[in-house]
Amino acid sequence: MKKTLTYRLHIFLFLLPALILFIGILIAPIIMSLIYSFCDFSSISGADMKYVGFDNYKTLFSSMLTNPNTGKMFVNDKYMGNALGNALALAVLSVFIQLPLALIIALKLSKGIRGERAYLSIFFMPVLISTVIIGRLWMNIYDPGEGGLLNAALRALGIDKWLFPAISGGIRSSKLPFTGQWTGFRETALIAAFVPILWQYVGYHMLLMYAGIKGVPKDLLEAAQLDGCTEGQVNRHIIIPYIKPILRVSVIFAVTGSLKSFDLVYALMKDTSKAELPSTLMYKLLFLHNSYGLGSAIAVVLIVLCFIFALLISLAFKDRGEKVA
Amino acid sequence: MKKFVALLLAAIMLLGMASAFAEAEKPTLTLWCIATESDANRPAYEKAIAAVEESLGVKIEWEAFENQSYKTKIKAAMADPSTLPDIFFTWAGAFCGDFAAQGNVFCLNDAYQAYKDELPEVMMQNASYGENKDHYAVPLTMNIVALFANMDLLAQAGWDKIPETYEDLIKCCDDLVAAGIIPFGCAGSETWCVTEYLEPMILKTIGYEALNKIFAGEGTWNDEAIAKAVDTFQSMITKGYFDPDGLALGNDQVKANFIAGKTAFYQNGSWNCGEINDAEGNFKVAMFPVLDAEKATYAQVIGGPSDSLAVAATAADTELAAKVAFELGKEICHYGYLAGSGLPAWTPYYDTADVKPLVSEVAAMVAAADGMVLFGDTAMSADPANIYLDYVSKVYGCEIDGAGFIDGLSSQLQ
Amino acid sequence: MNEVRKFKPSNIIVHLLLIVLVVINLFPLYWMLTFSLKTNDEILGHSYVDEATGERIRVEPNRVGLPKHWEWSNYSEAMNTGNMGQYFINSLVVAVLVILITLIASFMATYALTRLVWKGRKFMNKFFMLGLTIPIHAAIVPVYVILSRMKLLNTYAALIFPYAAFALSMGILISIGFMGDIPYDLDEAAFLDGCGVWGIFCRVIFPLMMPAVATVGIYTFLQCWNELLFATIFVSAGKYRTLPVGVQQLFGQYTTRWGPIGAALSIATLPTIIVYIFLSKRIQDSFIAGAVKG
Repeated sequence: MKKTLTYRLHIFLFLLPALILFIGILIAPIIMSLIYSFCDFSSISGADMKYVGFDNYKTLFSSMLTNPNTGKMFVNDKYMGNALGNALALAVLSVFIQLPLALIIALKLSKGIRGERAYLSIFFMPVLISTVIIGRLWMNIYDPGEGGLLNAALRALGIDKWLFPAISGGIRSSKLPFTGQWTGFRETALIAAFVPILWQYVGYHMLLMYAGIKGVPKDLLEAAQLDGCTEGQVNRHIIIPYIKPILRVSVIFAVTGSLKSFDLVYALMKDTSKAELPSTLMYKLLFLHNSYGLGSAIAVVLIVLCFIFALLISLAFKDRGEKVA
Repeated sequence: MKKFVALLLAAIMLLGMASAFAEAEKPTLTLWCIATESDANRPAYEKAIAAVEESLGVKIEWEAFENQSYKTKIKAAMADPSTLPDIFFTWAGAFCGDFAAQGNVFCLNDAYQAYKDELPEVMMQNASYGENKDHYAVPLTMNIVALFANMDLLAQAGWDKIPETYEDLIKCCDDLVAAGIIPFGCAGSETWCVTEYLEPMILKTIGYEALNKIFAGEGTWNDEAIAKAVDTFQSMITKGYFDPDGLALGNDQVKANFIAGKTAFYQNGSWNCGEINDAEGNFKVAMFPVLDAEKATYAQVIGGPSDSLAVAATAADTELAAKVAFELGKEICHYGYLAGSGLPAWTPYYDTADVKPLVSEVAAMVAAADGMVLFGDTAMSADPANIYLDYVSKVYGCEIDGAGFIDGLSSQLQ
Repeated sequence: MNEVRKFKPSNIIVHLLLIVLVVINLFPLYWMLTFSLKTNDEILGHSYVDEATGERIRVEPNRVGLPKHWEWSNYSEAMNTGNMGQYFINSLVVAVLVILITLIASFMATYALTRLVWKGRKFMNKFFMLGLTIPIHAAIVPVYVILSRMKLLNTYAALIFPYAAFALSMGILISIGFMGDIPYDLDEAAFLDGCGVWGIFCRVIFPLMMPAVATVGIYTFLQCWNELLFATIFVSAGKYRTLPVGVQQLFGQYTTRWGPIGAALSIATLPTIIVYIFLSKRIQDSFIAGAVKG
């Protein structure tokens, strides 16, 4: 008995540092956020905190609200739907553009092309650069003035003459014509924010996938080649099924990463409302509106969503994996 | 590895200890402000702090933060008032009012008695709260919204003075556009810059008493006249009077464009007077003309004392901190006025002959003002202020019209 | 496969496409370096009156070319007013300590989770994996309150502990992969030699986990080096400010002057890039190891 007790104590001691950090800085705050999300308070010390039930969640998820005094309906500006929609759009783009691109590069590079290492190093480089810096750099690329690179390039190529009117036609949110103000309209600002986000992390996913492909046993590949498989067939039938666990991780990271995305929009735009994401909306409600209850409710929604998506993606990969086997 | 880690830990400990043994004779006060190196007020702060350290025999340790992140920072610090510095910068109006209501700000009624001859009580009003109108912050400078004009560009369009009626202003804009000059610049990526255009237009339509009531939450936004003012503003945008690039620019870029002669007018705070006065070119200053002469006059202005210093209730020596705050306020006002980064909230005790021409012109406007309305986002508390800013941003982007503006605000800000 | 590298026309197309991607990846960096050495006049174009002829001469903007005059003063300006060196050291101190804490905590936890047999360890493992999906910003207000109660605000610790906590899940995930490769025979042999659990952990497992150090280190580094929001809110004193906050602060100061902005961006970026260039193979290998084990 004494022995099992000391054994348990050892187990506990080994877990202790991790548990203190994890519970103290992750779990406890999340429970606090959960409690906050059922309250309404505008002083961060919580002096004026009062319980409001699910009101915060109702506010976040109703696009229209009723004015209690007049009974009139009005558009709810704290509706979370748009921000969530934007984040999901980013997730879709990430899964269907960023990841396939990363996979194609990884497949090509892992075949032992000349300069493999150099390519690898260069594609991974943007991951190391601070998002603040990338945001600022792209801000200068999008600058509508003389120094702006994108517009200068479009003008030099003569594309602006038909592209700008075409974009104008596509802008539904505003009556103003588009003349190169990429971060000025809701539609273009969203795309302008997505491009650098997708650009920065192609290399991250590529390296993950490259690693997986390098782990495919040589004899499997050689056998396939002896059977006369083309490169495409090898990719499709051997490599991709083999690296499924890594693809799963990539997809989870891409989707949860999109839901959590914050830094770039925050760094790129002074006013994030043109390309609102759940995290930026949360930040705004917390620190600009002083609506700590509402902000905490977004935090809770985000955590739940990230968790659900991670679970769903895992399940999706498992099912197919079993069918293949 | 082990050695490296040990060395590193030792180095950190040494750093920590070195800072702990810093000189401890003079009383030391901490100050947070937003006067970063690029801020027009930076030199005024540097000189004022040196002067007050000298005259009161204290040491002031100060940190300057970038405007946007400072708002987050100071609010977060209110969660645990013990993390507040002794003295901190704040905007008057509801921003400081929220902190005062939380009991985190030291009441300055007593300390003010020693300064009431130099600082008119009316200047303390924007940071006075409660039934007794207790004073909670020391104003530094005061500012109003002014219409700056590049007279060389106006001359190219055949105008030798800034138009003083709305009809003339429109004519002038048409002439400017015909001459290939963009009349206005306004930063769309910083919504407060849009309010610098929209608020004077609303003011000159409904008058200062009505607007003050609305900002105080006592009046209603549901007023056709406001919708008309918004539509007027939008018609100026759609007619091409505003630089279209402005939608995606920040204030500094827009200001630089104005100073470089890319736009003819720039309407913004009077804290720009010094910088525009010193820039190369022929600049003049005026106010936005009246839109509805029955309700408003030309001399009504948007603005008032807002930039202030407050003393934390948790300061070690609140009496001393209050005294330092008042002295700092007076000196920052002094140097800021001379540099043209603001108008005086304090009665000048120094020679004002050297005040820059643009600054004294605006000072004259303030003296002649027959009605003043504090900036909307300062007057309103955080939540309504940010909803309001969202709507203003939508107005500039032409996403909603005047009817949508009054409808949305009146239903959201009840 | 590496040894057979036949000339194939399709390879040229592949290389061309890859080179296009290389250009897309490197161009922003190149562009940043060039505009960091230019004046606004050069970037935006300007005009001046020729003294001799009295003619107005228009100089076209030079947006992407190499600078005509190398404005090194931009760098001294960014360095002097920006205090970038100090911020860089702060970031480094924070990163090193975060990596250290993450390593120790995750190795210890992994040992308990994989080598010691007890009920509920599967559950505990799942519990730690929760951290992989939690957005770091979701906890900001409560974390602030907790840190302030513990009087940790405005110290390195205000950043180190949160970063370590958020890096922990990844650290454990990777460590489990590495620790699984260590044969159990070694544990048993040490046990027979009279080692207790701590002895086995310190003398057998820890030394053999050295390959994991680099991998966990890199993942942790990537997570904490660029973090902005915590760093802005938890630390106010300039002497503890980290690089992203410093850079952000600097943008507030030079909003319209491209040169010093570019210089600040370069100062903040280049050290990492230089280290990366020298160690790229090792960094990639470690990163790859993490992907395979995780």
